[in-house]
Amino acid sequence: MLAQAPVTELLDSAAAAHPDRTALVHADERISYAELAERVERAAGALAVAPGDAVGLVLPNGPEFVVAFLAILRAGAVAVPLNPAFKQAEREFHFRESGVAAVVTEEPAGGGAAPAVARDADADAVFQYSSGSTGRPKRVPRTHAQLRAEVDAYVRATGMGPGDVVFCAIPLHHTYGMGCCLLASVHAGSTLVLFDQPSPLVLQRGRALELIERERATVFPAVPYTFRLLADAPEGGDLSSLRLCISAAAKLPRATLRAFEGRFRVPVRELYGCTEAGAVTVDMSARPEPGSVGLPLDGVEVRIVGAEGELLDTGRVGEIHFRGPGMTAGYAGPGDLNRDAFRDGFFASGDRGRLDDEGRLHVTGREKLLIDVRGDKVDPIEVEDVLAVHPKVEQVVVVGVPSDADGEEHVKAVVVPAGECGERELIRYCRERLADYKVPARVEFRDEIPLSAAGKVLRKYLLD
Amino acid sequence: MSVTADVEQFIISELSQGRDITTIDPGDNLLAKGIVDSHGVMELVAFLEERYGISVRDEDLTPENFESVARIDEFVARKQDGRG
Repeated sequence: MLAQAPVTELLDSAAAAHPDRTALVHADERISYAELAERVERAAGALAVAPGDAVGLVLPNGPEFVVAFLAILRAGAVAVPLNPAFKQAEREFHFRESGVAAVVTEEPAGGGAAPAVARDADADAVFQYSSGSTGRPKRVPRTHAQLRAEVDAYVRATGMGPGDVVFCAIPLHHTYGMGCCLLASVHAGSTLVLFDQPSPLVLQRGRALELIERERATVFPAVPYTFRLLADAPEGGDLSSLRLCISAAAKLPRATLRAFEGRFRVPVRELYGCTEAGAVTVDMSARPEPGSVGLPLDGVEVRIVGAEGELLDTGRVGEIHFRGPGMTAGYAGPGDLNRDAFRDGFFASGDRGRLDDEGRLHVTGREKLLIDVRGDKVDPIEVEDVLAVHPKVEQVVVVGVPSDADGEEHVKAVVVPAGECGERELIRYCRERLADYKVPARVEFRDEIPLSAAGKVLRKYLLD
Repeated sequence: MSVTADVEQFIISELSQGRDITTIDPGDNLLAKGIVDSHGVMELVAFLEERYGISVRDEDLTPENFESVARIDEFVARKQDGRG
């Protein structure tokens, strides 16, 4: 059965079907499918790992990431892609938690061409990490069959094919970049144009527009922040080649949608997904409905659940639960994590939403406390845990608030100090321990944290 | 204080905490070193506008204007002369 084949077969099939087609474009480098397959074979031969070993992958977007990722899978190992911006303590946590046997920080070299190691479709292919209001990221194992099922359904829904050129400005270590850019592109035999790690994107947006235009990109998955920056770019950008723009990872503000569509005349469609399942729904209707993230992908079932666990009717808002063939079987680790998150075979997403009369999902909010920082999710508890052990912090609560500079959500720490304590000192302390996107942009000092009668933190009073 | 010294001090005190950076050479690439990230660039723009009374427009937001302290110095000078 096709959906049961390991992920590595995607590349073998693409290289056999169209060896000379361009698989990757990065800066001035263009790599055909035949060359990519050869580099992956050699890299797999250079990796001294055993089938089933977890292998850390810490690389920015580029051909080296693509080659190393596919080589790890070809060697029968499990890829553990991590954000290259992680600080030492964050990397060590992930390495320790996943028990990595090796870490890849450059394209593996020096090996001979290695045959693919046969792996069961139910063997783990990747370990990724989900932020989940628990203070520590949770390991999400996904098998070859699950990744393959997700990417099959996504490619079918979006109609991607060999003629498509995917412009990728999202990190490949994220589920979104890995599935909707890398694996979807290889599966469809498309060309993947890799934009350098776009930080800060605001200074690189002219180049991004030039590249989309030059490469005649047809598919552009991104996050709302990127669409807004491009819509506000001062000049340039004939994006008429684009047939499909997809926004995910955070709610797409209507003003952003209008600004991008108004300027470039390309509709932006929303996709809903998560680390636990990859892409879950996408709005491919002829006229995308603002606020809708579309219909479930093939094989995915979505239902809306009330506070008592009851199923809610069409139109009513509740927690979004779903299941599908791309979804993980559960977090690695203590069973109580899974008891809360997986119920009756469905994943309880922590997001709130409703289904409309046509079966499309609308996401209306979130029950979890996560903060969206330009597409990256920050677990406030993780930041609170770092600050709480600072000797001059008596109490701390971390919230997401809109930035004065650009209206995007950023991290604010509200601190009850223990004696004299400065904002810079605490920001410096966080920077030493947390990836930059998690570091509070502001620290506000208060005499006390507002609590409800039941002793629960009243976060809504901390959002000013 | 010169623009170069002023901007260096702002970057070290406001943008580079926790990065073990105590000095910045005017030619250092702030983008490659990750000192000026998405948040940092907006803070830097706000600082330049307030300190030097200049207006930074969308089209000014390019790597060429912000990649080093020397480039920022030149950019401020152009703005103050009404050339930018």
